Amino acid sequence: MDSNQAAEHLQTIRTLMERSAVYRRALAPIMIYCGVAGIGGGILGDALPLHSAGGFVLFWAGMAVLALAGTFLLVRRQSFKDGEPFWSPPVRRVTQALIPGLVAGALAGLLLVYENPYWFECRFIVPLWCVLFGLALHSAGFFMPHGLKLFGWVFIVAGFLLLYICWEGKANYMAIVLQPHWLMGLTFGGLHLAYGIYLYFTESRRKAS
Amino acid sequence: MNPEPFHQLDRVIHEKGRLAIMSMLAASPELSFTELRNALGMTDGNLTTHIRTLQEEGFVAVSKSFAKNRPLTTCSLTAAGKKAFATYIDLLEQIVRQNKPE
Repeated sequence: MDSNQAAEHLQTIRTLMERSAVYRRALAPIMIYCGVAGIGGGILGDALPLHSAGGFVLFWAGMAVLALAGTFLLVRRQSFKDGEPFWSPPVRRVTQALIPGLVAGALAGLLLVYENPYWFECRFIVPLWCVLFGLALHSAGFFMPHGLKLFGWVFIVAGFLLLYICWEGKANYMAIVLQPHWLMGLTFGGLHLAYGIYLYFTESRRKAS
Repeated sequence: MNPEPFHQLDRVIHEKGRLAIMSMLAASPELSFTELRNALGMTDGNLTTHIRTLQEEGFVAVSKSFAKNRPLTTCSLTAAGKKAFATYIDLLEQIVRQNKPE
């Protein structure tokens, strides 16, 4: 074996090791935390006098920061418990995969603030955020063993379903139900919480077996 | 060129398929049989044979359990496997360094 072959071997080994290193932390606590934060945000947002595009986007940007910060803290705690580095290659790859979708969502929010539409029209940003978040989750799912890709699809489908409902409910009693803060709580909060509860039982069962 | 590092390379790990399995397992606490098979594009029989060889050498530990009422076979590197893999990488690096221009 000459040095070129040895170098090729090392490169192949590195590629295989990178492909193998997938994110394996328990997702249930993260999903439940995000779900509770989302539902809480929906209730709080409606209770506070935040019925404008600017207030809505600012409030949910704050909730997103809170959710992300909590998620990173939970991941960090799990990493320390397992004696592994927090900023590991899988965590880095998952974060990188999430970024484009999240940035697109943030830009859409800025556009909403700039356009400053009538309050109830703000609800149309929720389906868009759902779809973009779903795409972000789907990308991250390539580096995670759980059904995160499927969860991403759930958000994408929910986004389009919501868009249809928003259009249909534009001129009838549904308009009251389709209050933007409620929609955020129901979609982002409700879906995360449902998935978190599902994972709580399935992840525990897998560990037990 | 000093041929010594090449002769020291572990013959069991040096085989292409087994090296791929060892590389995957070195980067992960454990991997299921299905994950390994899908990632490496091996047939069930081929993967089973390689894993058995690595198991006989004491490099890989195989555990069987159930997940969602389905049998789940997981593989992980043993301490001896980790050591052998690290030695193998060291030797490869030595070979690369030997021919590097000063």
